[in-house]
Amino acid sequence: MRRNSKKGEVERQLFETEVRLYLDTLYSMALRLTRSPVDAEDLVQDTLVRAYRFYDRFEAGTNFKAWLLRIQMNTFVNRYRRSTRERQVFDGPMAVPVGEGVMSRASMRALTDPVGDAQRRLIAREINRAFEELSDEARAMVLLADVEELSYKEIAEVIGCPIGTVMSRLHRARKQLQGSLQKHAVQLGIIEEGDEDLDDPIPLEAFRSRKAAKS
Amino acid sequence: MSCRLVRRHLGAFVDGELDPASQIEFERHLEACPGCQENLAFERSLRQQTRESIGGVHAPEQLWGRTLHRLDEIDATRAEHRSPIEARPMRWRQSWPIAAAAAAVLIIGSVIGLPESTEYQGAGMLQDVVNLHSQALPSDVKAEAPQEVVRYFQGKTPFPVQPAQFEEPGMKFVGARYIHVGARPAAALYYNHGGRRVTLLVFQSPEIVQNAHRTHVGGRELYYHNVGGNVVTIRQHGGVNYAFFGDLDRPVLFKLAANARVAY
Repeated sequence: MRRNSKKGEVERQLFETEVRLYLDTLYSMALRLTRSPVDAEDLVQDTLVRAYRFYDRFEAGTNFKAWLLRIQMNTFVNRYRRSTRERQVFDGPMAVPVGEGVMSRASMRALTDPVGDAQRRLIAREINRAFEELSDEARAMVLLADVEELSYKEIAEVIGCPIGTVMSRLHRARKQLQGSLQKHAVQLGIIEEGDEDLDDPIPLEAFRSRKAAKS
Repeated sequence: MSCRLVRRHLGAFVDGELDPASQIEFERHLEACPGCQENLAFERSLRQQTRESIGGVHAPEQLWGRTLHRLDEIDATRAEHRSPIEARPMRWRQSWPIAAAAAAVLIIGSVIGLPESTEYQGAGMLQDVVNLHSQALPSDVKAEAPQEVVRYFQGKTPFPVQPAQFEEPGMKFVGARYIHVGARPAAALYYNHGGRRVTLLVFQSPEIVQNAHRTHVGGRELYYHNVGGNVVTIRQHGGVNYAFFGDLDRPVLFKLAANARVAY
């Protein structure tokens, strides 16, 4: 652990090289968590200062990106999130269960194959809006899984929870996102009006008919 | 295999997180089920659109430069404190096996902030200890049932946590929550001492006693760091750290640290 200046220099260079690769990831995550470019920059800097201080405790061979993201999540939770809000995040809206059948078949089709650039842009904007409406926790799940494409194991490391919890939180987050998209899809004309009436909400209907067929 | 089951776990299927046997069963079902195929196409498409819509943010140009500047500051602080610290006789403690190095940290006095020139080693953690106390985050478990506290921390911290007990009648356990010190999982135990808030942080970190001062109180070996006008007092026991914060006089907290039953 003795840190002579030569070793310190080498370590600093190594740290810089490794961290540089993930700067965009960290900032992107920070921006989505804090919703403010100024706070996001502060959060990334605080994260990297911490990571540098604890760099000798990083176990070589393990996932550096997950390690950094974990530090950033912790820093965010400890510093940027007010304690009352923090409780709301984990006990509040997210605790509400989400039904399985949140998306009508028509919405699904429209969102699966957007026609033309205009519609693509419209959907992109809608996804952004739906994403911003999610709780901190749900946004973190979507970011880690769908944007950063981390494995469940890595997400579990970042969030500090069991893999089973990752699965259920992620499922809930995605369903909330879809539910929010569905809600706006009709009124924005992504889906033609009246479609919703014509189309069955997928799962419930399907489950019931299947059930009925079986019994 | 039902459509319901497939659709419930379609996300995990797309993520490639199903066990191999389920993966094969899912594929078999999907081949034969147009309805689920449509769901799958949607799931994949939405995933990609989400990635494109939300991802791809680049860090501002100046962020890297600012970060490097802050790293420079750390390097400078390290250089400044290197020689006196390494000359201290306490260095031998670093060779302790981790299992044997447990620390109880007591922060004493009204905590305002860390000055620039305390010892560097462990400063990040000390800073956390100070911050976590001043933030006074709410408890997740209340004091009424100590067994609840033990259960609450099971699976959260890599070591068992139970509220430390004190002979001092004025020291009352209030509640606890899971937290981090540095990158380490930690337990925050909240106490009240005659109307004054005292926080006890429990975490693993043999490093925290590096370069600490050493003293004996009531036959108990204590370490401490000067933190501004206050003191972080460390008592080692059983592979785990215990950190207290409070507006108490130094001798009072030394005594609390020395007499605390941290394991029982």
